Amino acid sequence: MNKLTLLFTGIVLTFGSAWVGFVAYPVANLANMEPLPDEETGGLIPPTLSGLAVAGQKVYAASGCVECHSQQVRPDPLTTDIAKQLGKRQTVPRDEIREHTPFLGEYRIGQDLSNYGARETDVAAVHRHLYSPQLVSPWSNMPSYSYLYQYRKIVGQPSSHALQGLTGSFAPKAGYEVVPTQQAEALVGYLLSLNQNYPLPESPEPTAK
Amino acid sequence: MSNDQSSQTDTLSSAERSAIDSSVASPVILFFGTSILWLLLGSIFELTSSIKLVWPFFLDGLSFLTYGRTSIVSVNALAYGWATPAAIGIGLWLTTRLCRVPLAHHKLLIASGIIWNLGVFVGVSGLLIGDSTSIPLLNFPAYSTHILLLSFALIATWAIVTFFQRQSGPLFVSQWFLVAGFFSFPWLFATASQLLVWNPIQASAQSPIAAWYAAGFFNLWLVPMGLAAAFYLIPKSIGRSVNSHHLSLLAFWSILLFGAWSGTSRLIGGPLPAWMVSVGAAAGVMMIIPALAVALNLHFTLEGHYAPVAWSPSLRFIVSGVLFLLTTWLLSAINSIPSVNSVTNFSDLTRGLNLLGYYGFFSMIAFGSIYYILPRLTGKEWPSSCLISWHFWLALSGILLGASALILGGLIQGFALQDVGITFRSSMDFISPFRFCAALASILLVAANLGFALLFAGLLWSTRRSGATPTLIAVREENSQEPVAV
Ligand code: HEC
Repeated sequence: MNKLTLLFTGIVLTFGSAWVGFVAYPVANLANMEPLPDEETGGLIPPTLSGLAVAGQKVYAASGCVECHSQQVRPDPLTTDIAKQLGKRQTVPRDEIREHTPFLGEYRIGQDLSNYGARETDVAAVHRHLYSPQLVSPWSNMPSYSYLYQYRKIVGQPSSHALQGLTGSFAPKAGYEVVPTQQAEALVGYLLSLNQNYPLPESPEPTAK
Repeated sequence: MSNDQSSQTDTLSSAERSAIDSSVASPVILFFGTSILWLLLGSIFELTSSIKLVWPFFLDGLSFLTYGRTSIVSVNALAYGWATPAAIGIGLWLTTRLCRVPLAHHKLLIASGIIWNLGVFVGVSGLLIGDSTSIPLLNFPAYSTHILLLSFALIATWAIVTFFQRQSGPLFVSQWFLVAGFFSFPWLFATASQLLVWNPIQASAQSPIAAWYAAGFFNLWLVPMGLAAAFYLIPKSIGRSVNSHHLSLLAFWSILLFGAWSGTSRLIGGPLPAWMVSVGAAAGVMMIIPALAVALNLHFTLEGHYAPVAWSPSLRFIVSGVLFLLTTWLLSAINSIPSVNSVTNFSDLTRGLNLLGYYGFFSMIAFGSIYYILPRLTGKEWPSSCLISWHFWLALSGILLGASALILGGLIQGFALQDVGITFRSSMDFISPFRFCAALASILLVAANLGFALLFAGLLWSTRRSGATPTLIAVREENSQEPVAV
């Protein structure tokens, strides 16, 4: 192998083959997906996200939640994701079309969140968790997102948005309250929107065993 | 032993060699010096993140030091601040030596080194204020990756021009790897930045590209640069030639082919077409071929000449690095088997493999190369053999402790996550003691890096000209006839 041109050609061919498979193919075949019409409601599948949830995606990205939480349900029978009720069916490319970047995640340091909105609906509980994870699960190593909350003196009436149920060392001092910022509201909106319980033809729910 | 020309390191006279070496000194020292600063910073952030996983209250409640940011700062500072410039520095030096031309345009290279570090600085600052793209290994925000690509375009252009101006003659193995690395990295980085960061395509198509990039960054950029150094410095240090031309050929082409295709092997069951996952898994398993080809070839080269590994710092680091590459690839091959991956995916085992590959292989080779190169560029010797020894043992024990804890713990955690009868909380209880060991390992690695930084600073500031004796880390055997170039 003494000729530079020969070497170059070889590199272009081997490297290029993977480029065609993993770059050109998805660009041509996966990058133009449309939501499907929902015959029952007349809406779209996957449903369009609210403005709040879209804002929440940015907070999710900025906080680095993806470092600890995956968002992908893998299929039966290879894995037990479905048996463990992370979701009812496999996550497929069309599930991601509303995201700017897919938050697939590489680790499950915390639980998978693909269908978090299907198992949790209580806004106040989610705020409590984000503000003080160890209050909800004392064994948790999730960081506190207290910087997304405002700790302030109550002036006049306490805010109706203030977090309730903060106890022990997490409770604010008397006369103070913890109020979610807009970012925290958006993040919770996004988390509650995470729900893949809509039917997609390319990902049927496995039939019950 | 093969007498093929491609296996012979070089035939320069020592006067020519030192003329070439001193011509590259300033840019190479710039790349090495800044990379060591990022190495320190990156490993301190790594330590912070490991502590947070064990004890979440550590530096808690500050937006810029939350786990989600410290962990990506460490990964990206190490990948683009430390590993890439170190690879560039090694690549510049090797390119000039092997093409047998003194360096031209060294102002261009110095400029590109400064621009590169500016890009990393802007990128890391962007991560701290929350501008991450959320794509693994491509976390830097768009405004910093433009700067990085500009800088690398300058470097790659220089490398290609130098290759075309080289003194004619057969291409040595290391040169194949240099061409592959200098060519692949800009292609990888430009493609992934354009499609995922600058003008992102629809999210549904992004995951295979991101996986392709992450595998390529290791297999097609750091591995070629690290192996270019290993294939030159190992035979050079013991005065032999590379054992087998055919094994070199096999290793080179199988790395390029399977390395490039193996990206999706970590996405088994993920949201992408099934064929991509199958191809990725198959390619991942095939990485056994280059693993064995590289290890056997270098082993046969060293056979009967292993003694200098005890006293030559550069050889000791480089040989350890090659062994860690072998381990990384063999374990990754096992981890690419779908039934294994369905258990280990999302567990801390992945952190363990990353530690083995990035630190065990690449950083060790980079340390070894810098130990070899720097005295030749500056005409000075390393200030303390004792500290070199400490550096080696701290780094080695850090890697072994960290990787074995994370791999073993990750396996247990993976089985727990997979088992329908075990709660998530229990899976965390199982992994906790292993994460504690990993945090201890991070302390060892920070200490190792600090030792290396001190040595580097000591060498630059010292006035000790190299005399007849290079710095060795063990007593050289009296009756040894080894022509070692330490
Ligand atoms: C250091 C890793 C880590 C980071 C970073 C992290 N989490 Fe967690 N998260 C966990 C762990 C561990 C748990 C499980 C224990 C618990 O309930 O706190 C968890 C649980 C959760 C849960 C409850 C899940 C369930 O199924 O009950 C939600 C919701 C959540 N995290 C959201 C977030 C969000 C949003 C972010 C980013 C702002 C985030 N997490 C960042 C580790 C992390």
